[in-house]
Amino acid sequence: MTISKTEIEKLAKLAKLSFSDEELERFTAEFDEIIAFADTINQSIEGGTEEIRNVSARMVSFDDLRPDEVASSLPNEKILSNVEGDNGFFSVERSKK
Amino acid sequence: MNYEIVCGIETHVELATKTKIFCGCTTEFGGEPNTHCCPVCTGQPGSLPILNQKVVEYAIKAGLALNCKINTKSHMDRKNYVYPDLPKAYQISQYDEPLCEKGYIELDSGKRIGITRIHIEEDAGKLVHENGYTYIDYNRGGVPLIEIVSEPDISSAEEAKEYAEKLQLTMRYIGISDCKMQEGSMRCDVNLSLRKPGDSRFGVRTEIKNINSLSFIRKAVIAEAERQADILDAGGIIVQQTMRYDEGTNSVTPMRDKENSDDYRYFPDPDILRFSIDDEKVEEIRSSLPELPFDKLKRYVNVLGLPEATARLIFRYRKVAEFFEGALAEGASVKNTANLIVGTIFSNMDTEEEKELFTTRISAAQSAALVKLADEKKINIGVAQSTLQKMLESGKSVEEFIKPEDLVGISDEELESLCKEAIDANPKAVADVRSGKDKAINMLFGYIMKKTGGKADIRKAEALLRKLIGQ
Amino acid sequence: MRARISELAKRLQSREISAVELTKAYIDAIEKLNPTLNAYVHLTFDTAQKAAEQADQMLKKGDAPLLCGIPMALKDNICTDGLTTTCCSKILKDFKPYYDATVWEKLKAHGAVLLGKTNMDEFAMGSTSETSCYGAPLNPRNTNYVTGGSSGGSAAAVCANLAVYSLGSDTGGSIRQPASFCGVVGLKPTYGAVSRYGLIAYGSSLDQIGPMTNSVKDAAIVFDAIKGGDRRDQTSVDYDYGSSLAESLDRDVKGMRIGVAEEFFDGINPEIKSKIEEAIKLIERNGAVIESIRLPALKSALPVYYIIACAEASSNLGRYDGIRYGYRTSSYASIEEMIVKTRSEGFGDEVKRRIMLGTYVLSSGYYDAYYKKACLIREEINREFDAVFEKCDVLVAPTAPNTAFPLNYKGASPVEIYLSDICTVPVNIAGVPAISVPCGEDAKGLPIGMQIIGKKFDEATVLQVAHFYEQSAGKVIGDYEGGAGI
Repeated sequence: MTISKTEIEKLAKLAKLSFSDEELERFTAEFDEIIAFADTINQSIEGGTEEIRNVSARMVSFDDLRPDEVASSLPNEKILSNVEGDNGFFSVERSKK
Repeated sequence: MNYEIVCGIETHVELATKTKIFCGCTTEFGGEPNTHCCPVCTGQPGSLPILNQKVVEYAIKAGLALNCKINTKSHMDRKNYVYPDLPKAYQISQYDEPLCEKGYIELDSGKRIGITRIHIEEDAGKLVHENGYTYIDYNRGGVPLIEIVSEPDISSAEEAKEYAEKLQLTMRYIGISDCKMQEGSMRCDVNLSLRKPGDSRFGVRTEIKNINSLSFIRKAVIAEAERQADILDAGGIIVQQTMRYDEGTNSVTPMRDKENSDDYRYFPDPDILRFSIDDEKVEEIRSSLPELPFDKLKRYVNVLGLPEATARLIFRYRKVAEFFEGALAEGASVKNTANLIVGTIFSNMDTEEEKELFTTRISAAQSAALVKLADEKKINIGVAQSTLQKMLESGKSVEEFIKPEDLVGISDEELESLCKEAIDANPKAVADVRSGKDKAINMLFGYIMKKTGGKADIRKAEALLRKLIGQ
Repeated sequence: MRARISELAKRLQSREISAVELTKAYIDAIEKLNPTLNAYVHLTFDTAQKAAEQADQMLKKGDAPLLCGIPMALKDNICTDGLTTTCCSKILKDFKPYYDATVWEKLKAHGAVLLGKTNMDEFAMGSTSETSCYGAPLNPRNTNYVTGGSSGGSAAAVCANLAVYSLGSDTGGSIRQPASFCGVVGLKPTYGAVSRYGLIAYGSSLDQIGPMTNSVKDAAIVFDAIKGGDRRDQTSVDYDYGSSLAESLDRDVKGMRIGVAEEFFDGINPEIKSKIEEAIKLIERNGAVIESIRLPALKSALPVYYIIACAEASSNLGRYDGIRYGYRTSSYASIEEMIVKTRSEGFGDEVKRRIMLGTYVLSSGYYDAYYKKACLIREEINREFDAVFEKCDVLVAPTAPNTAFPLNYKGASPVEIYLSDICTVPVNIAGVPAISVPCGEDAKGLPIGMQIIGKKFDEATVLQVAHFYEQSAGKVIGDYEGGAGI
């Protein structure tokens, strides 16, 4: 099955990615091949029929969940250490030329 | 044209746990921006969520209090969308295996509003837009929420308000949240559609957000029902959209799109193990619940005999109810205790907040000691009220203010022995009463009044005398 | 002759050589060779020197751990407090985490000396390390060829004597395949045996951190140090391994049941097939019993892997939006546009392809046919592995169907590259442990790797069989002359 340009644009919007026209051309062809590759699971054996609840088969019991005890948070300077904070806030200019 | 209102309410309740749902940061309100944060709640690369046990416990309490079935196996899902207040670009929530399902809230009319589901999820951070910048504070990010979804069983604005009120009271009662709409610890979104009476299909519905109080819920439902009715009457169609309620103009207007109808691509969160709770534990949690508010109200009215209006004033605050019941446990009477609380104690409390907290300088037992004196008619109500006020202001017990000499009236035992004395001392009068000369009883009254300096309760004395005389 | 941890430890503890001197030897070698090999992308020589001084203090006191003072490297997707960590992506340019990955905390407590962060495929997505924003690392055995990926820099550093050991990460083969291409040892532990806290996530239900070393014993020593449950990673397991695995490597393979599944050998290079068969025969001659087994579900392993890994990745990588860390685009008309531009400028092509595939398989209308189906087949694969391990102690298979690709191999479409993961991917899906050890060279002199796969939490048997083979087979590949000479 060939994936349409509109579908790719829809996916790109969800994924917050943008492609130039030339990139989109190239990408669509590659993506087609990748989807065909993913489609091969439909030729394979049936899996079980239950709803999947979690990829790991392990479960944890209520008693082993984390107790509600305060752990110290990190200082503001650390939290902002990878950006230029503004008065303790993360900040983004709403538009920038 | 008459239309039927079909309404459901989605409520987000902030849980009053000490820490966030997936990390040990404090949930304390306020604080300088980004000071209650860590790698987990700011979505740093390499961080992982660790589920808080209390969150599950509180959600189960909510489910039990709302008559839900508890799912003893549950898991978390990722809800993927991009927005600056969501640090991981996904919210960890529950999609197809919510912790609680299929409960109800009973309205005063006896009608039950169904509760479809209750699930746990994390809150997002806070955005502030100013001066061409967007500022983000993640202190609130990761605070635990439960989302309570009702069935579309609500059919009027009054029912909508009542549902929300009862929900709020119940959540406060079981101690899982302070549910303050103005502070955002309880947020209601109203879904509403109209249909012709008797039609079983659903009309197109709109969602109304940004409702900040219980009375605005009622107003918003009325406003939106009117708006939709006008459109339908004119032959138009309702557009499915998100609306916001504007308090100033009492109107409902379309909200600017925050997110377009995103495909959230839910899938089970691989970082969080599926969790289970056994039935015994659920029962343990159930037995740790206090008497639920509306059960309490029924008991106050039907069993204790309190007038409904008074009962409502007391039951709606759990601490007040506890104080009231504490005094009763010490032997104080229902009527006097209730009246003194509602009259005197409440007159010292101006706000709802104060009544919620119900901090008094005296204990229920101290109160009971005072009330019992009034019960036994040793002091009259006026004295009781003023003494109570002095006790509240000073924190001192009743003995400080009322000495034995001040006691008006006499005890029942004393009265009984006085009556016996009067009978022994006036055999002729007794014989006269027995033979039909009823006025003779006045002699006995006189004797008792003289002996008590006029303080005896005449009606009680009469009843006792007649009993002792044998009539 | 490449350095082994225990020998170096002995020399350090007897003070024959100091940690500072040892570290200097590696620093000199890196300065000489790394400009060509490009194994390291961030160097941490200051940190290393300080750590070496502290290690010497610990060594002086006596009773220092084996790893004390040993110079090593970390893959660039492992968070190091205050040290640049970028996943070799432009979007994490200059990112300095303010927290340590658990594995790094543990190694620091052992006195490890960090020389730097190693090159990798961007966000660990790839099999050649060529998608790195810093350019590809070169295979020290033949610099016209790739190192493999995604832990290519870690493999190259160990191969070229630029680190005694390194940590890599493995989601679909990213430790084992580069280990086999470069002729070193690489261990992927059982899923959950090592904490993922601080490992920048790609495929959360598949990722594991593991050692890359010059010998099986070294791999065991490092695994002993990094394994263990962690309260910061709920998927980690506090498994009781009993004693140290490095100290119980010697085991007679007589009577051991070695499973060989023909599905692993489908379509592999005949040179590789023959070397693996030789290795199996060697083990058999020493008394092991070879069991021929079937694993039919392996046929779906590749698409199952790509669907699940990309689905999880598309979600894990949503957070890279320029707001809290990393690269932010310089001009935009709205915040939405800022986010889209930042991501489009910051991510490379392969990462974008995988994010798009992941978004697709989770999207409404496709979820059941792809993601849900893949999870159900995954459970089937797990069941098949469980059944096989009732009959076998370990499985032996090739690590890859080919030896190293030439650099810039034009004409390989993304899917062709994906197909080369056929031997490694089933192991991640099942969550079982596996090691790659060198077992020969092809006609071009490029290393061939053999995989030994065990059942969950049975790293002990995997290491024992690998150790036995390594000791018995003797020299199977040529030595690398170069790097730190100590």
